[in-house]
Formats: sequence, structure tokens, C-alpha cells
Amino acid sequence: MSLRTPNFTGWRATILAESDGNTERLGRQLALLGLSVVRQWHPLGAEALPDLVLVDADQGWDDLLPWEGGAAPCPVIAILGSEAPGRIDWAIRQGAGAIIPKPVAASAIYPALVLAHSIHEERAAKALRIANLEERLKLRPVVYAAIQRLKSERMIDDERAYGLLRDGAMRRRLPIEQLAAFVIGGSETLREVG
Amino acid sequence: MRDDVRIGILYSTTGPYGAIGRDAREGAEFAFHEYRARGGSALQPVYFDPHADLAAYLDGARSLIRDHGCRHIIGTITSAARKEVIPLVEKHDGLLWYMCPYEGFEANENVLYLGGCPNQHLIPLFDYLLPRHGARAYLVGANYVWGWEMNRLARELLVNAGGTVLGERYLPLEEVAVDRIIADIEEKRPGFVLNNLIGPSSYAFLEAMRALAARNPAFLPENCPVVSCDLQECELDVIAEGAAVGQLCAAAYFDSVDTAENRAFKKRIADWLPKGRKVSNVFASAYTAARLCIEAIEVSGSEEPQRVREAVLSRHWQTLLGTLEVDPATNHAALPFLLGRINGDRGFDVIVSRAALAADPYLTASAARPVPKLRIVS
Repeated sequence: MSLRTPNFTGWRATILAESDGNTERLGRQLALLGLSVVRQWHPLGAEALPDLVLVDADQGWDDLLPWEGGAAPCPVIAILGSEAPGRIDWAIRQGAGAIIPKPVAASAIYPALVLAHSIHEERAAKALRIANLEERLKLRPVVYAAIQRLKSERMIDDERAYGLLRDGAMRRRLPIEQLAAFVIGGSETLREVG
Repeated sequence: MRDDVRIGILYSTTGPYGAIGRDAREGAEFAFHEYRARGGSALQPVYFDPHADLAAYLDGARSLIRDHGCRHIIGTITSAARKEVIPLVEKHDGLLWYMCPYEGFEANENVLYLGGCPNQHLIPLFDYLLPRHGARAYLVGANYVWGWEMNRLARELLVNAGGTVLGERYLPLEEVAVDRIIADIEEKRPGFVLNNLIGPSSYAFLEAMRALAARNPAFLPENCPVVSCDLQECELDVIAEGAAVGQLCAAAYFDSVDTAENRAFKKRIADWLPKGRKVSNVFASAYTAARLCIEAIEVSGSEEPQRVREAVLSRHWQTLLGTLEVDPATNHAALPFLLGRINGDRGFDVIVSRAALAADPYLTASAARPVPKLRIVS
């Protein structure tokens, strides 16, 4: 259960669509939710991005948004009337986390905002975690080298050497990879557990 | 303007919230009675009773719109029923006049909201309760969106205040088996209980809380009040004698409001219905909705919903609930906040009053909520 009431006050939204009754209703409802709204029907610049993008997925073309492959830097909502798989796929590729169907009903807007925001946060957290894990994976050889060094210096087995490294990292509140680099560089001798 | 404009009245007079529906319907009837008494004849009410059957609300709204040509519907009590009716009203570009307190998170162009959302009832209620009864609360509610969302918001308010939710329990609409909840409350010892139960469940709960207080004074209303945002005078007639005395309820109107307007209003009702009755918030609100509908149609010289809505939004209205203003951005009315304590005369004594609060249905201002100014009146 989400505890905190979602609040979009002060957010800047850009609607990428031609002006019509749908965008008018959208703009009105977003304004009462506390967002400031800009509507345009030309590509979004990569500088000064808004906090939220709503895009007409029936008409949208590939260069309309300055990112690719779901790497959206902010929540994206597709405004969609078509059921054509190609259009839905286009919306997915822009990073859409929610759909507002046409004709736009007032009651569809707030739920779409909450959903797109939540999905964006979740994706961002996962991307960060994956980048972190990849970085650590890259440094595995360093950890391996540090273990070999500790083994030969102290005449201990793999398990013991890894234990020393792990406990030392925890005590110093460092990633194990960083401590391993210090051990190899000679600036850290893990004296306290020697 | 046509001389045979029909206004749909869609209230359920039976079922779990029948007492409330009967008051709502009578409030609307009284507005039309007064309209006719002053010589009005162009507007006629058409009544439909869905008997608390959710599907019948849609049938009723369809019949009012298609068979009777109604462009305006005054009605629905529960949010479930309102959400049932809205798509049809939208499709026909009509106007739904909704006048019950509800859980917020809605702002439809085809609905006028005259009953208040949480920043007008629950939040000021908690502003009063937390300094006096602490932030350790127990939450009960009817098992549908009203109970769920009111309790979710209550939990948020309590956590923000550094408090805790000691328990959260739901009952289906007509369920009256409350013993296990009462036993849990006795064990957990909350500072107060938020009651979002509806109808018979709520009455059974209040009676059981009174029995609990009789064996354990820690649960007397002055120590552990049961508070709600929707209990009505007409329901106090149904609850066992004295069982709810001392408990608290928030509303925009109580029968006991001591103003010249209210005294005159009650006198007019007594002349119309000599049987003697207290006026509830739903009666007053349905009356206000119907009267506003009638006057706005007269002012705009048309029943066309868009024009009527604009007429409502364009000015202040002198009503039973005070000077009433509807926000064009949200279609919600600003409403006064009153806190009533149930007395031995099946009514409420007003213990706190705040001037009209603008509605904030999506709680967009909640992050920067101003410190409330309470006026203690007794």
C-alpha cells in the first residue's frame, strides 16, 4: 500500500500534441493537480527537460523525443486512441509508463500520472543498481588478485583470505572492490586482523 | 426557457444507507416544495429509487436522462454509486449534483461537488484530535473505496504526526458482527477510533463501543472518542438510545447551528412536515443542491448544463450552509467545518467551527498545509 499521497505540485509538464479538445482537457486537469503545462507539436529539446512528458502516440514520430530505447529521463505518458500494435510499440519505445486513452476523460489523468511516476522511479532505481553491479563485476579481477596476495603473504586458504577482505571492508565501510585495490597497491595491510 | 424542465432525483431510500437517502430525498423535495410555493412551475423533479442496488443506479440515471429528458441529476450517496453514474452523465453532457462528503481524488467537469472532500472534513478533524487524544488511533471502515481511502489518508496523517495505526479493520456494508474488532480495540488501547463504517455496521459498532465503555471507563467518549465524517441526525434515531452520546462527527451543517437563517429554515420545515424532525447535513445539503440547481437554471434562463454550471461558478450564493462559492478549477464548493458532539437529545452540539475552507480534492497543498486556526465555541 502506498502511504504517501502522490503530489505533483510544482511539476513542469510538456504535452507533445496538436491542440484539440483532448489537450485542452488534459491541460486543465493537470493545472488543477498543481502542474505547469506547456503544449507543443515539434521535437522536445534535450536541454531544459520537463518533469513529465505526455505525448500523442497516434501521431508521434521518432525524433519527437530526444532519447531512445526506453532511456527516458522523466516519466512519459502516451495519449492513445489507436489500438494498432505499431503505435503501442512506439509508445513503449519512448519509455511510456502509462496510457491515457482518447477521448481523454478527466478521471484517467491522475491515475496515469501516479503510474508513470512510479514506473519511472522503479526503472531509475533498477538502472542505478544494475550500473553498480556491473561496475563491481568489472572489478572482480582486482578482488581475486587481492585474495591471492593475502593467501601467499599469510599462508591462508581462499575462504580465510576472502573473509579478511570482507570483514575489513565492512569495518571501514568501503566496497570490497575498493579495499582490494588498496591491498594490491600496498596502502592497506589489514593489520588489525593480521 | 422551456416550461417543462425535468430534474432527476436519484436517491436510495432503502438498504444500508436508507436513512441517509430518505433525508436526502426529502431535502430535495422540500426545495421543490418551496419553489412551487413561490409560484414556480417550469421545473419538475422526477424521482428514481435504486434501492441501494449499484446496477439500478445506472438504470435509473439512464431512465432519467433518456425517458424523462433530464439534463441534471441530483443524487447518489456513495462514491461507488457516483462512479457508476458519471460515465453516462458525461456521455450525455449532463450535470450531476453530488452533495455528500466523499474521499476526494476526483474533479469531473460534469459533476458539481457540494459535500466536501478530506481537506474539508478529515484533515481539520485530525487537527482537532491529535493535540487532544494523541496520534495512536484505530481505524475501522466499510469495505469499499470510502472506507479504504479515508483510512489510508488517516494513516498518512498519523504517521506524519509521528503516531501509529494500532489496527485497521473493514466490514462489508450490512455486517454487524463487531465483537472481534471491539476485543482488538480493548487490547490495543487507542487514543481515538476513526469510524468510516456505514449504516447498520456503524450503529452496531457505536453500541458495542458504549458497552465496552460501560465495563472499562478508558473507552468513554471523553477518553477514547469514536469520530466520523458522515454520521447524521437521522441516523441517531436508529442507534440504541444514548449509545452514541459524547462521540464526535465533522460536518458542514448540523441541525443545532444557531443562526437566524437556520432557525427560519427549521421553522419552514416544521410548517411543511409537522411531524417534527431534526435536519441533517444530508437533508440540508440536498436542499442546497436542489435550490442551487433551480436558481442557477432560472438565472441562466436555460437548462443547458454548461450554462448552468457557468452560472453556479460565476458568483457567490446565499445558502443554508452560508455564503457558498464553487471553485471553477475543481467544481468543488468551499464549505465550513463544524465539529459536533452527540448529545442526549439525538442531536449534535457544535464544539468547533471554522469558516468555509476551499476544497483541495487532490490534496495538492497538503505539503504546505497552514497551521489551523480553531475557534472553540463551547
